[in-house]
Amino acid sequence: MMVNKKQIKELLNESACSHNKDKKSGCDKPKPGATSGGCAFEGAQIALFPYADAVHLVHSPATCQGASWETRATGTTWDGDDNTQLGYCTDVSTNDVIFGGDKKLEESISYICEHKNPKAVFVYETCVTAMIGDDMDNVANRMQEKYNIPIVVVHSPGFVGSKNLGSRLGGEAVLHQLIGTREPKTVHPFGINLIGEYNVTGDMWQYTPILEKIGIKVISTLAGDGRIEDIQTAHTAKLNVIVCAKSLITLVRKMEEQFSIPHISVSFYGKRDTTNAIRSIVNAFGDEELSKKAEEVIKAEEDALEERLIPYRKVLAGKKAILNTGGNKSWSIASALQDIGIEVVATSIRKSTLEDIEIAKKYVPILMKVPANEQAKLIDDHGVDILLAGGRSLYTAIKKKVAFVDVNQEKKISYGAYGGLENLAIDVCAAVNNDVFKVVGEAAPWEEEA
Amino acid sequence: MKESIKPNKPLQINPIKLSQPMGALLCFLGIKNCMPLMHGAQGCASFSKVFFTRHFSDPIAVQTTAVNDITAVIDGGDYSISEAIKNITKKVKPDIVGLFTTGMTETKGDDIKGATFLLKDVQKMAYVHTPDFEGGLESGYAKSIEAIVEQLVLETTNIDTQKATLIPNVNLTPIEVEKIKEQINLFGYETLALPDISQSLDGHLGLKQGALSSGGISVDEIESLGDSEVVITIGNSVEKAGKKLKEKNTNMIHLHFDTVSGLLKADKFYKELMQVKKLKTPHKTIVRWRKRLQDALLDTHFAMGGTDVIVAVEPDQVLSITTTIKEAGANIKAVVTTNNSVSLDSVPCDNVLVGDFEDVENELPDADVLISSFHGERLTTKYKKALQVRGFPNYEIVGNNLINDTLYEGSCYMLFELANIINHHKYGQH
Repeated sequence: MMVNKKQIKELLNESACSHNKDKKSGCDKPKPGATSGGCAFEGAQIALFPYADAVHLVHSPATCQGASWETRATGTTWDGDDNTQLGYCTDVSTNDVIFGGDKKLEESISYICEHKNPKAVFVYETCVTAMIGDDMDNVANRMQEKYNIPIVVVHSPGFVGSKNLGSRLGGEAVLHQLIGTREPKTVHPFGINLIGEYNVTGDMWQYTPILEKIGIKVISTLAGDGRIEDIQTAHTAKLNVIVCAKSLITLVRKMEEQFSIPHISVSFYGKRDTTNAIRSIVNAFGDEELSKKAEEVIKAEEDALEERLIPYRKVLAGKKAILNTGGNKSWSIASALQDIGIEVVATSIRKSTLEDIEIAKKYVPILMKVPANEQAKLIDDHGVDILLAGGRSLYTAIKKKVAFVDVNQEKKISYGAYGGLENLAIDVCAAVNNDVFKVVGEAAPWEEEA
Repeated sequence: MKESIKPNKPLQINPIKLSQPMGALLCFLGIKNCMPLMHGAQGCASFSKVFFTRHFSDPIAVQTTAVNDITAVIDGGDYSISEAIKNITKKVKPDIVGLFTTGMTETKGDDIKGATFLLKDVQKMAYVHTPDFEGGLESGYAKSIEAIVEQLVLETTNIDTQKATLIPNVNLTPIEVEKIKEQINLFGYETLALPDISQSLDGHLGLKQGALSSGGISVDEIESLGDSEVVITIGNSVEKAGKKLKEKNTNMIHLHFDTVSGLLKADKFYKELMQVKKLKTPHKTIVRWRKRLQDALLDTHFAMGGTDVIVAVEPDQVLSITTTIKEAGANIKAVVTTNNSVSLDSVPCDNVLVGDFEDVENELPDADVLISSFHGERLTTKYKKALQVRGFPNYEIVGNNLINDTLYEGSCYMLFELANIINHHKYGQH
């Protein structure tokens, strides 16, 4: 099977996406010469690579994996080889392009199964291997029989679309080949799946211990700190919890249809949203004892956090900020900033979905459509102290001599949940107290003062 | 070419190898007001952009033709390329667009020469074939230079005796390119580098972040490189590019150096420049730096002597590093590199593999130090070995743009850094 056209069309026209309700066409195709984001393969990689107990074999020439392995600070508690951070690649050559890469793929899978002892192998189809028509499903089926572990083909050639679509394709592969293939010994009454939580910087570990304290069991994740054996039993969970990401909405809709598992969508950024997220999860079970326990735990966590935030609140009191980032961060980080006492004057909605814009409206008074043109003036008009944005806005911050926090850079520490909010407070305080933004903007001795 | 040991398995596990289009991208980033345009699916450009942004801690200009499932099948390249040019020129006015292919568009067999010809009245362009299923970072960079020379440099028979062209290999850092230019200038030249990443990726604060390359050699300067008295190529990957430039003017002198790191290789570099300019002694700073390097070799030889080192970078950089540290007595235990190259012929080591980090791991237990990209850190931590980070990518250390390992001066820094790493590893408190 090559790339499945019907499946891609279905994913792009996802009925659960709000923009598809008023638009005839689905998600837009990337524009030549005016495109910045990653491709479908990257999306699949983001979604599935966190399974550290599986080997992720990319069937591609050098760029796809050579440029991208070991790039995300994604934590795992798996004590075998941390395959999330490793780069397996068939390194397709001219010879393979001419004569086909099936044989190389088969030998590679054999090598992995015989030397690395993984719980599963994900095999990613990329542009070149889709075009030369390698029959990856056939190879995978044979290898699965031979080695008796799941060999999951992910049909994610970059040219089919964006990162978002690729994450969906990853979700589809997991749904069709893993979920429901194993029955657990017992079924937990308050079992959940965490969908779209990739545990980047260990975000997930900020809140899973809290959920456990309440009595909720994480059955499986897609895919932060995930295990293959767990995702195989995902059909026995009572609730699917989508964490921030919108891309896996198709997966949870299908799981609802197939296994009658309802889903909710939550964010764990900031105090209020974390508390809301916990309550939403607990409320979905409608269990009085559970709800009572949850309220106790929430109170204890919030009180402890407030105690820890006191020194930072002193520094941040009365400070004003502008947030220029994309997607759900346009409101989730805004909410977190408000929770540490910062007034968020404006936020960017340039790359946000319709849902995100609706939510952002509730948190922030000014929504910037073209932040590059608007933010400098807003800094002046409102006496803004902090600009939180991507690297491109650094120049604005230096010109205006305000503190700058790069919110798009690969972070090393988590801003998630209650514990992460303290980390955010520490970082913002460090930026506010940092002289650098004033110093580097000074004119050189040989320059006229502007 | 010496037979290096071929890969012993069907796949790469933790690759050292980087792709040809990534090399092409770096080359076009060394041309002023250039928009590098990667002809492929959007991911190739996106991955490469993120990769180099993190490595250089600087914005990277690149666009993509964003080939999709439909254009992948029915378009011969001209549609997505002309659309890309249309959309790019709506926003910015590049002096040149550097068009380069990827594995996917080479599998299709797109006619990029034709597409460039059709657009010649709309946008000045240079094009190069760089599929990522052959070659690697070095060849992608070198092929792009060759293409630029062939397509842009004007033929001439004139010689400007005060003009030199430097063609660096992909491994030379921005500051190394600048330092080598300055050294050539000490022989009475105005030196231009093709490409010149010392003007774009050197980590300088500009007025704003532009959409195009932030500096480099200008298109006008490239077109008139033909009257250079000398063209100096450094690294075996770019020797052919120097020959191509000489074809534009047979009166040009081509000086080729496989490396200019280490005392003896730097000696050779200065000696040949002195011969061209008929000088008996070079500038006094060169004389002084040579003395410092002599001293540095002696100061570091205690630490370096007998230390077992594994070097895992691109072939031209393998040669530079091993040449330098061998002079101070290091024992090159193993070399693991990305592609076969004539550079490997003169590497002072019998154990040379074309391989990956799994091969490095197999050699590491018997070594003291690994010199590799930051990907080596996982291994040196696991085996409690020392690491000196060199090559691409280096996400963990800031200041990559300013690391200088070349000529007398840079060789001093390289030796001191490694000796300190070795001493700390062997005798420091852990």
